[in-house]
Amino acid sequence: MRHRLDIRIGPVAFRIGSAWKAPLDALARLYASYPAPEDGLADFTVRLEPERPWRRFIRPSVAIRGDYTLADAAPLSLAHGLLAAEMGMNLQMALGQKRYLLLHAATVERDGRALIMTGESGAGKSTLAALLGERGWRLMGDEFALLDMASGDLLPFPRAVSLKNGAIEVMQAEVPAERFGPRLDGTPKGAIRHMRPNAEAIDRMGEGATPALILFPRFGETQAVRGVGAAEVFMRLTQASTNYVALGRDGFDALNRLIAANPALAIDYPDTETAVALVEDFWRARAA
Amino acid sequence: MASPVYIADSGSAVLTVALDGLSVLFHAPSGMTHIVATPAPEILDALQTGPADAPELIRRLRERYDFEGDEAEGALHARLDELEAAGLVRRA
Amino acid sequence: MSGTDKDQAGGSAFVPSRRTVLVLGAAAASTVVTVRPALAQAAGSVLNCEIPVPGPHAGGQYIAADGNLVAPGTPGAAPPLGRALKGEEVKSLLRSGTTPAGTDPTSAQAYANYIRRLQSGMSGFTCYASLQTRP
Repeated sequence: MRHRLDIRIGPVAFRIGSAWKAPLDALARLYASYPAPEDGLADFTVRLEPERPWRRFIRPSVAIRGDYTLADAAPLSLAHGLLAAEMGMNLQMALGQKRYLLLHAATVERDGRALIMTGESGAGKSTLAALLGERGWRLMGDEFALLDMASGDLLPFPRAVSLKNGAIEVMQAEVPAERFGPRLDGTPKGAIRHMRPNAEAIDRMGEGATPALILFPRFGETQAVRGVGAAEVFMRLTQASTNYVALGRDGFDALNRLIAANPALAIDYPDTETAVALVEDFWRARAA
Repeated sequence: MASPVYIADSGSAVLTVALDGLSVLFHAPSGMTHIVATPAPEILDALQTGPADAPELIRRLRERYDFEGDEAEGALHARLDELEAAGLVRRA
Repeated sequence: MSGTDKDQAGGSAFVPSRRTVLVLGAAAASTVVTVRPALAQAAGSVLNCEIPVPGPHAGGQYIAADGNLVAPGTPGAAPPLGRALKGEEVKSLLRSGTTPAGTDPTSAQAYANYIRRLQSGMSGFTCYASLQTRP
């Protein structure tokens, strides 16, 4: 392809090719200070291609292609090329990751122990994780948690945080402007702005953590907390995993070990500050 | 009409983990995981000693459990159909 | 093992039983749930998708209220929508009955039922499947 960028995020190396320069320039700025893949080898390839040959120039239309693709994926405009690259990388992970059990979850670490927050998109876990990452926690990832099935540890996947709508202002108030990508309005998910994790998260992207607590957060509700039984946790985590079924016995064993060793809570919260306070309380209780 | 004889995979072919009130089963031959509620684990357990038809299964289950009401055989067939659809039980 | 308990109508068995009652469940009950591959929760991050209503295979047919394809102009049936519905619109439509822009509530319901009937291999199926999230 005409333009190319290699990036390593945690244990995963991506090669992103593009017919246009602009999205890769934006991606390179967003991922400035990330390491290059070791030995220059990529685990996954993403390609940003014109939907039709002439769509490279006329009303440029960016189709997300790569090692793994999804039928029915609609192209994005060139203005949203950075978003296309990010979605492409997510897609490779969601469809192609076989080495680690993938959970659709945000993870933050403190004192070598990890907090896993999982739930539907829009439930607020990305924002919560991003905020905790600026409040003394290390952000391990806002989208995918990687469970090493042999050791039971979580590995970091600190991609750029995808902030949507109201969350953009929340983080802009806490984080220097240099760490943000361009504001993308009018995307299929509303306004999006990407935020680079802080230096600690990037420097320590090779460092795993042992899970300690599982949370199912729900934003926009009256504050409430309840314990979640093991069977429900199992069911919800399999629904949050794109590769559980493919991993067979190893996935079954790893998930059961994770659940047996860690308490799970569902927390409803009306705003992120309340959520942060709840997290700190439960974390202290867990450590006690 | 003879009642069909059912067989369940045994031993290491099925891993069972009891979680609160439910069990999760990994069926090695298919690689599939199933989340099951009573009486599925008890029925699978009763088939461990060998294939059985429904009347025989009821007899085995009655050694350990009581049943409520007199719908036992009908209900058992419904449970066996479910287990068969999931691949955890098959007909001889 | 506790002593055998014989079924005795009205019997006053004095020996306490350690046997439990096994509830076999109603015929319609569901006691086995198989874990299926799941893309739904991650779908928002990986898939920008659209569903054409109807798909290219329909050849100009209209969509009846129950979602089936019918001859063009059939009374009460919705015409093909000139644009594909975006994933977010489909989600709102299926969850809360939100009428997409450029259409009316009756047609919207026909489109919703059409989408619910999509099968693997039909245009829009992967998109529909990825929007499935548990209530």
